[in-house]
Amino acid sequence: MKLGKDEIQKLVLGVLLFFGLVYSYFDLLLGPLSKQQAGSRQSIAALGPEISKAKAQIEKARQLEANAESAQIISRQVDAMIPEGSPVAWFPPRIADFFKKQGIDKALTRLNGEVPDKEIPGFRKLLWGVDLPKVEFVPLAEAVAALENEEPLFEIATLQIDASREDVESQRALITLSNLVKQ
Amino acid sequence: MAIRLNLYHEVIKAKALKRRDPLKLSIYVLAAIAALGAGWYFFQLMRMSGINDELASKKAEFEKIEPLAKAARVREAELSAQAQRSGLLEKRIEGRFYWAPVLAELMQIVPREVQITRMGGEISGEGVRKCQITIDGLSAGADPRRVAEDLRTAIAEKFTPNFKDVTSTFKMLEDGTEMVMLDGQQRPTATFAINVQLHTGEEKPAPPARRKK
Repeated sequence: MKLGKDEIQKLVLGVLLFFGLVYSYFDLLLGPLSKQQAGSRQSIAALGPEISKAKAQIEKARQLEANAESAQIISRQVDAMIPEGSPVAWFPPRIADFFKKQGIDKALTRLNGEVPDKEIPGFRKLLWGVDLPKVEFVPLAEAVAALENEEPLFEIATLQIDASREDVESQRALITLSNLVKQ
Repeated sequence: MAIRLNLYHEVIKAKALKRRDPLKLSIYVLAAIAALGAGWYFFQLMRMSGINDELASKKAEFEKIEPLAKAARVREAELSAQAQRSGLLEKRIEGRFYWAPVLAELMQIVPREVQITRMGGEISGEGVRKCQITIDGLSAGADPRRVAEDLRTAIAEKFTPNFKDVTSTFKMLEDGTEMVMLDGQQRPTATFAINVQLHTGEEKPAPPARRKK
C-alpha cells in the first residue's frame, strides 16, 4: 500500500497530536493528582506521630494525676503547718507557748532577718533569735528535742548556752531558729 | 471438473480493504487507549478521594486531641512542680541538723570534775552540714589538764560513730588560778576551750551540665 503526500502529512499530524495528548494527560491530569496524593500521604504520615505523641502526653498526665496524691501529701502537710497571717504575729507566741509547755517560763523571740529560699520556690526562711534567760541544761535539752520532733519546719542554726555566775544551776540560752514560711 | 466463477470478487475485495482500513484501526486503538487512560484517571481520582477522607479524619482527630494534650502538658508541669516541691521539702526536713542528740551525748560524757561554763554551736553549709561547737569550761582534779584532755578525746570518740570528719581540738588549755573543793579536798583547776567540728548530710548532686548549642 502506497501512501500519498496528503496521507503522510495527516499521519505525521496525527502522531504529533497523539503525543501532545499523552503529554497533556500525564502533565495536566495524572501529574497534579499524583502530587496531591503524595502531599496528602505525607500529611497523614506526619499527623500519625503527632497524634500518638498527644495520646502519650494525655496518658502520662493521667498517670501522674493518679500518683499525685502521694506526692502531694508532704506539700499539704507543710502548708497546714504554716498558719495564715504575718509570721511576726504568730511565731513569737507559738514559741513562748511551746517553751512554757516544756517548763521554761520565759522565752523572748525577735526576728533577726529573712532570706529567700533559692531551692524551694514559694518559700522563704525567717531567722529568729530566741532568748531563754533562765534555763537548766536538762530541761533545755529536752525542750530542744521536743522542738526538733514537733516542728519539722524549724531548724536550730546556732545555739549558745552560758552558765550564770550567780546561779550555777541555771544557764542562759540563746537560740537562732530558722523557720520555713510561705512567701 | 466444473469451472466456478466468482463474479463478486471485486465487491469482496473492496469490503476486505474497507475492513482493514488503517485509519479506522488506528482510531479503534486510540479509542481503546483513551478509554484506558480515562479509566486509570478515574481510578486515581477515587483513590485520591479515599486519601482525602483519611486525611480529614486524621486532622479531625488531631484537632480534637491537641487541646487535651496541651492541657495535659500544663497539668503535667504543675504536678511535676508540686512533686518536686514535696521532694525538696521532705529533703529539707530530713536533712536538718538535730541538736538534741549532740546535747544528750555531751551530757553523758562530761564528768563531774568538769564544769561547762559556755557552749556555743553553729551550723553552716548546704548538703554536707558543718557543725562547729565551742565548749569552754573548768576542770578540776589532781591533774586538771588530764581531765580536760580526757573530755576532749571522749568528745571525739563519742561523736565519731554518728558524724563524719569529727575533730576535737583545744583552742586553749591553761592552769586555773582558783582551787575548788572536790570530794572534800581542795583541787587545782584548769580552764579550757575545746573546738569540735563535725559533719553530717550528703554531698549535693552536681547540677546537670548545660548542653552546648
